[in-house]
Amino acid sequence: MTELSTEPILGWRLWHVRLHGDEYRLESFTWHHVSWPPMRRFEAGCALHRDSAPVGDHECGIYAFRTRELAEDLLRRYTGIRQRYGREYHELPPVRHGRPIALGSVSLWGRILVREKGFRAQYAYPYELHLIGGDDGIARELRGRYAVDVSRD
Amino acid sequence: MEIGLPETEREIEITPLEEPVPATAPIEQPVEEPVEA
Repeated sequence: MTELSTEPILGWRLWHVRLHGDEYRLESFTWHHVSWPPMRRFEAGCALHRDSAPVGDHECGIYAFRTRELAEDLLRRYTGIRQRYGREYHELPPVRHGRPIALGSVSLWGRILVREKGFRAQYAYPYELHLIGGDDGIARELRGRYAVDVSRD
Repeated sequence: MEIGLPETEREIEITPLEEPVPATAPIEQPVEEPVEA
């Protein structure tokens, strides 16, 4: 049976920050050139299920982790930096120059499929962002474009 | 993103009273210089 609620879920995820034309946009971490629209919800889509995504027994939907730690762990695996001097690396790892990444929380709503480590959602919008490997100008641009708080290293 | 095993999946439906999409950008708080007494 489907649970019903009016309170959006807050998940955690990563985005690439890439230029689209002459403006920086949040882009899906796993799907290239899929940018998140500013000031309107991002909607899940699926080649098979169209706008019925997310669907059970499939992998479609907008993904997010339950915790910031899980998103940070993905970032460490992505950069390949898990340890430093033989010790577990707890800081956020550096990213390649000119390839900024945003780590942040994201509001999720609509139909949501919940698993033990995260969610597949129908609708999403960034809630708060932390920019890694970008400068003040990019942070300011993202803050203005998506209308959310953006901090940076 | 590895969010866990599909067998553990359960479904919820969230219909917010208002969509969590901001209408205007947050205001940047100016940093005030400390003033000596």
